[in-house]
Amino acid sequence: MKADGAPATKTFSTLRAGTVVIGSSLAVAAFLWAFITADSTIAVVALLVLLAAFFFGLERYPQAEAVVVRSFAEARVTAAIVWLVIVLGFPFLFGQNTYFLHLLVMCLIYSVLAIALNFQLGSANIPNFATGATYGIGAYCSALLALEFGWSFWATLPFAALAATLFGFIIGLPSMRTRDAYLALVTIACGVIIHQLLNNFEWTGGPQGLIGIPAPTLFGYSFASPLPVFGYTLPFQANFYYLALALLALSIVVANRLHQSRIGLAWNALRADEIAARAVGINVVWYKVLAFAVDAFLAAFAGVVYAFYISYIAPDNFTFLVSVTLMTMVIVGGMDNVIGVILGAFLLTLLPEKLRAFSDYRLLFYGLVVIAFLMIRPQGLLPQRLRSYGA
Amino acid sequence: MEQIAQQIINWLALSSIYALLAIGFSLLFGVINVIQFSHGDVALTAPFIAMAVFASLGALLPGADLVVALIVAIFVVGVLGIVLERFLIRRFRTAPPMMALVATVALGIVLRELIRILYPDGSNPHPFPQLVPGSALSFGDVSLSWLVVAMMAVTGLLVAVLTWFLYRTGLGLRIRAVSQDIEMARMLAINPNLVFRVTFFVASVTGAVAGLFYASYVGLMRFDLGIIAGLLGFSAAVIGGLGNMAGAIIGSVVLAALDTLVQAVFPDGAAYRLVVAFVLVVLVLVFRPAGLLGRTVVEKV
Repeated sequence: MKADGAPATKTFSTLRAGTVVIGSSLAVAAFLWAFITADSTIAVVALLVLLAAFFFGLERYPQAEAVVVRSFAEARVTAAIVWLVIVLGFPFLFGQNTYFLHLLVMCLIYSVLAIALNFQLGSANIPNFATGATYGIGAYCSALLALEFGWSFWATLPFAALAATLFGFIIGLPSMRTRDAYLALVTIACGVIIHQLLNNFEWTGGPQGLIGIPAPTLFGYSFASPLPVFGYTLPFQANFYYLALALLALSIVVANRLHQSRIGLAWNALRADEIAARAVGINVVWYKVLAFAVDAFLAAFAGVVYAFYISYIAPDNFTFLVSVTLMTMVIVGGMDNVIGVILGAFLLTLLPEKLRAFSDYRLLFYGLVVIAFLMIRPQGLLPQRLRSYGA
Repeated sequence: MEQIAQQIINWLALSSIYALLAIGFSLLFGVINVIQFSHGDVALTAPFIAMAVFASLGALLPGADLVVALIVAIFVVGVLGIVLERFLIRRFRTAPPMMALVATVALGIVLRELIRILYPDGSNPHPFPQLVPGSALSFGDVSLSWLVVAMMAVTGLLVAVLTWFLYRTGLGLRIRAVSQDIEMARMLAINPNLVFRVTFFVASVTGAVAGLFYASYVGLMRFDLGIIAGLLGFSAAVIGGLGNMAGAIIGSVVLAALDTLVQAVFPDGAAYRLVVAFVLVVLVLVFRPAGLLGRTVVEKV
């Protein structure tokens, strides 16, 4: 009986897992599509209510979440194929609408930045208000190399990342001696210093910034030209969509690998209790500085893509407020949960665009959202999942 | 020579503004163990409240004095401090420090934006009157305005009153007790919530005075001045050593000296004043994390 029954249950559960995976993935994609194309405030509010109801339901019935998570774990291949189709095909849903594609690209860039910040804020609980600055260093470094020396996008990428990582190390070093609020002050100070220097130096173009950054090319194909796919032409933003998508995929892989490695564990230990972590032999200083460096590295990548996409950068794109916005994304999405952080980045990039009518209240809204989340749901929309080993 | 005299006057003026802000930061941190990052924004609401009260007073009873508006503003800011403490900051007292930090940074944004939205034409700078007009002394081109004299006098007076309050009154004793050991204070029948309220009131009032002076000294008020004022005040408190009134004053004097020096010596120094101030902060934090006067606290398990 048992020998017969086992395979039957197996196929059934695989089938069920596949259905759940496809269904939930399509639901997420459909929701995103509806959110991006929503053109009235009422539609946006309705979608937000739907989202709130969803999270309320998740809170009420945690089994549902467990089913989805297990299904994804079981039907891994199906999930990979479904998501590949979704993310690759997504630009086709918008046809020739460049604005929607632009929103998507910005969502992806902010997702990368939020994942970068998550290494510190989420994993290790180190306040870092300088992510905006490392983002800016990446952008400026690549733009200057491209404009002054005519380097290509691909050549500037590693140098920009290197420069920002060095800066990350430098702002990480005070973390040897300072903690919490003091460390936060150091990062705020570094962020302000970088912004002021970019604003004041001659060679960074001053407050006007740098103009005319050339679009990247790949084997003679310019990213500024429309993208032909099977006789169908997508606007040039689609090139950057795929570029940013590749970067996000890389970030997710890096984030997952780090999370599952000893480094991620060490960061979590730091967050739980620094003294205990030191007592069990974790090199606290090294892991803190490492968190800064990894953050700077990824943020610089995002900065380079941003600079070459917009082709114009100014100091005001990299202010203290950018850092606060990123922090909001991580807190709202859920600290130390990559999917949550991406959700936070998408939500907080799209919402201000969708609520244009209230654009005057954007910052007020950010501030209130952060305070509300910290008071009511400090763990974010999607809290960190317990690590599971084996099985 | 005249240049130097003028710069010394600037230095004294800036010192007193920074000192008033830094004392607030220090007091709050000492008692409630939370860095109130929005303290600068709380302080800089005072000029706006004062002008709003002044405008509406003028309509109600013509000839009403600016002094009334100032007193009302200072009092309102004190109450604002109590309200923020009660409904927001108290909740984060026992939370991880990072949460309190992010929450108060967000609170600063909310306060700034509220000023911008609620005050008529709040996005643009508005002129702020010189509270005490005229100059007390003048040699040639150098003039010591009554405003600077008043600022220093009021700062000195406030510091004296605060010292008396903290060290010579029962309430001050209770504040110091809570700041030293809240559990022990509780066992001795001290109500910590009352102490928090009083501390926030006192710190916000001191901040409000600083905010009014700041606006009057630069001659204008802008909704986003609070962020710079807060960062500089907090920096001064950190340089001197948080939780220590003498440290706050010394830190302010040092920071103001550097600030004036940079603006006087370099041709476009004004553009770099924040850079220099923050480089100093970073250096102090790296090489002497407890500040110039602070004691290093060794954490025991």
